[in-house]
Amino acid sequence: MISELTRATLESLYMIFASGLLSILLGMPLGIILYTCAGSKRLASVYRVMDVSVNIFRSVPFIILILLLIPVTRRVTGTIIGPNAAIFNLTVAAVPFFGRLTENALNTLPRGVSDSAQAMGVTYRQFVFMVLVPETLPDHILNASVLLINLVTYTAIAGAVGAGGLGQLAINYGYYRFQWNVVLYSVIILVLISQGIQLLGTSLSRMLRK
Amino acid sequence: MSLLEVKNLCVSFSAKGKEFAVLDNVELSVEQGSIMGIAGVSGAGKTTLLRTLNLLQRPASGKIAFDGVDIMSVSQEELRVLRRRIGVIFQSYNLFRNKTVARNIAFPVIIEGVNKKKALEKAREIAEELELIHRLGSYPSQLSGGEQQRVSIARALITNPRMILLDEPTSALDPFLTSRILRLVKRVNSVHGVTVIIVTHDMSVIKRVCDQIAYLEKGKMVFCGPTHDYFSEYYLSVSHDDHAAEQLEKAKKILAENGGNKLVRLVFWGEAAGEPILWKCSKGLDVSVNILYGEIEEFKHGPFGTLLVATCGKDSAEFLRRLSGNVYKMEVLT
Repeated sequence: MISELTRATLESLYMIFASGLLSILLGMPLGIILYTCAGSKRLASVYRVMDVSVNIFRSVPFIILILLLIPVTRRVTGTIIGPNAAIFNLTVAAVPFFGRLTENALNTLPRGVSDSAQAMGVTYRQFVFMVLVPETLPDHILNASVLLINLVTYTAIAGAVGAGGLGQLAINYGYYRFQWNVVLYSVIILVLISQGIQLLGTSLSRMLRK
Repeated sequence: MSLLEVKNLCVSFSAKGKEFAVLDNVELSVEQGSIMGIAGVSGAGKTTLLRTLNLLQRPASGKIAFDGVDIMSVSQEELRVLRRRIGVIFQSYNLFRNKTVARNIAFPVIIEGVNKKKALEKAREIAEELELIHRLGSYPSQLSGGEQQRVSIARALITNPRMILLDEPTSALDPFLTSRILRLVKRVNSVHGVTVIIVTHDMSVIKRVCDQIAYLEKGKMVFCGPTHDYFSEYYLSVSHDDHAAEQLEKAKKILAENGGNKLVRLVFWGEAAGEPILWKCSKGLDVSVNILYGEIEEFKHGPFGTLLVATCGKDSAEFLRRLSGNVYKMEVLT
């Protein structure tokens, strides 16, 4: 029992953090592109298209998204069950979400600060990497913890369709075999993971906020 | 030689599908090494004009030449280089809140590709000059308003700019800090030879530091020239100011009661303000002079004074003729 729980926990953590990392790596640039397009008259139409696409991806329920993605998942990961397939699904769902969170965080940069950077003659690259992102860093850290906690939930949902991890354990042993204590243990572990992530995110963000 | 030349500048904003003009055919010429004040009431377009000078705001039409270069026709890359020659000190300072004071000051040279160590060393030198040395490791949120402003000035000076633009530098400061910052601006101008443009609604700032004034009214430039010329016109045209109009009414009343026959407003500027001109001009004449109102102020280029006098006597005309040759401006009011 204990070894089952440990294995499922590690599987869950692997899925959460691998998809989390991928989503941040891809979602952050998406957010920066959204921010840039929103602020430019020339790119206004690009922004509209991206804005609508992000909304569409975010409004499809995750369990439906997994089903819709089956052919793509099979092609990309070679399988449709197990942690790696789940990571692909989770990432597809989380990138638009994190992109939107990033865009919102970037929008908190005061207009005046962006003006003063322009007045100094920064290049676009310098603006993004030396002003825009560093100045809003504490918000990105908070966003990352929101993302990871969402992924805890999503990972459990993915468990229902064969991803493995705590979600699947709870459903297979607890729900189908009436071992409610397994459900309870799984939930307790998921709560602890979420609390840990939130605590870490909040304190790191507070440390960086000057 | 003029460093900045603005011609027929028009800026308009659109709101709810309607265009309205914020600046209307503005002309401006700023001499190399001078301090120019842009004045006017709130909403006259002062800040917009300042933002247009380095194209943070794109004008609808017109021409802006900086150091002989038409800045509206240069490429993005050239504009970036050009902007590095113009320091801007914003009204809200706009410091980077997640960077230390040292990094804030060094930032403009770091983006030019100067190595970090050298940049921070240069930041240290400037911080020394602006009495910020003990604050180098602090973050902007830990500083007072006056300190944040000095950081913002240091950040503008580190690139050795040809020109700095200050937006309402004294509006958030107490009188003591105002004097301090104005002294600093004058020193930067005289020691570093930096041309300065100050936007302000505070006329005392103009009087104390500016060589030239550009006065905006509802987006139109109503005056652009030497400060003392502006103020002598200002004192002569009563309509400008309730206080002056009230003075004149009082003076006319006194005149009617005491039987004087001429009411004259005189403006002195420079050395003449210190001379006993009334005495000199009335010597040997049958004229009596009654001073109704007088004021003298210290301008950047010397004292500036205005007098409201009533005269009577049979040599009044000769007295006024002599006066007109000895004062900066004179106007006979009755």
